[in-house]
Amino acid sequence: MKIKRKVSQATVPSMAMGDIAFNLLIFFVILARAEDDSHLQWTAADAPNLENAGHSLVSVLVDKKNRLYLNGQEIGIAQLAGRVESLLGNRPVGERTVVLKIHTETQAQRFEPIIEAISEAGGDLVHILEDDKK
Amino acid sequence: MKQRRRNKLLIESPASATGDIAFNLIVFFLVCASVQPDSGRKQTIPKAETVPEEKKETENISVDLTRTTVAINSEKVDVRRFPLLMRARLRDKKAPEDRVVVVKSAPEVPYDRWIDITAMIEDAGGIITLQLEEEREVTLPE
Repeated sequence: MKIKRKVSQATVPSMAMGDIAFNLLIFFVILARAEDDSHLQWTAADAPNLENAGHSLVSVLVDKKNRLYLNGQEIGIAQLAGRVESLLGNRPVGERTVVLKIHTETQAQRFEPIIEAISEAGGDLVHILEDDKK
Repeated sequence: MKQRRRNKLLIESPASATGDIAFNLIVFFLVCASVQPDSGRKQTIPKAETVPEEKKETENISVDLTRTTVAINSEKVDVRRFPLLMRARLRDKKAPEDRVVVVKSAPEVPYDRWIDITAMIEDAGGIITLQLEEEREVTLPE
């Protein structure tokens, strides 16, 4: 006597597909943002009447420990102008925004050469500040 | 006497997915919070150029800034009166090259103070330019 084997179908549950896709999306978004400077520690200076900084390709940051970063990567002041210039390339005026994030207690001897280097590279400077609502 | 029998079945959502849902919500709001646009202040600083020695003496306004004081053309002024005085000095200057204000900061001036003063100058219609003190190492022959 022959006994029939019960054939069970093994399928991937399609219910979880949405969750998997969403998690992948979030993963790549975070991965893309890992190159920026959101992980660095700094406090913005206060100022009134601020405007939206808009989109920028280049971000220069001086953190609490007085270290200089270009797009999240530590850099020396001597290389800054050249690197900013190469990142901006031949972009027209209006698309050459460089956001400058300087810790509020940083001294002039540190931040003035940085401002000069950005100006030398032809960047449109935008100081990132905290809105002073006093 | 009628007796009604009701089959009340409790339908619960699957509790195993609650952790996943909570995790996804946390990640979603975390990403949303981190993409908040920055606000700031635009600043136009003329491109640095090497100025010939004989052209250095111009009639531009200069602002000397230290940690505690501010001076216009070497004359110390009260910070509260600074915007008024700056506006008065720039009033008659129409050409952009005349509106250039040379800012000389002491090395220890903090960024927040520098931003306050330069914002006042720009609000008064001035164009900021920096004068940096260059430090050079000189090696003397033995």
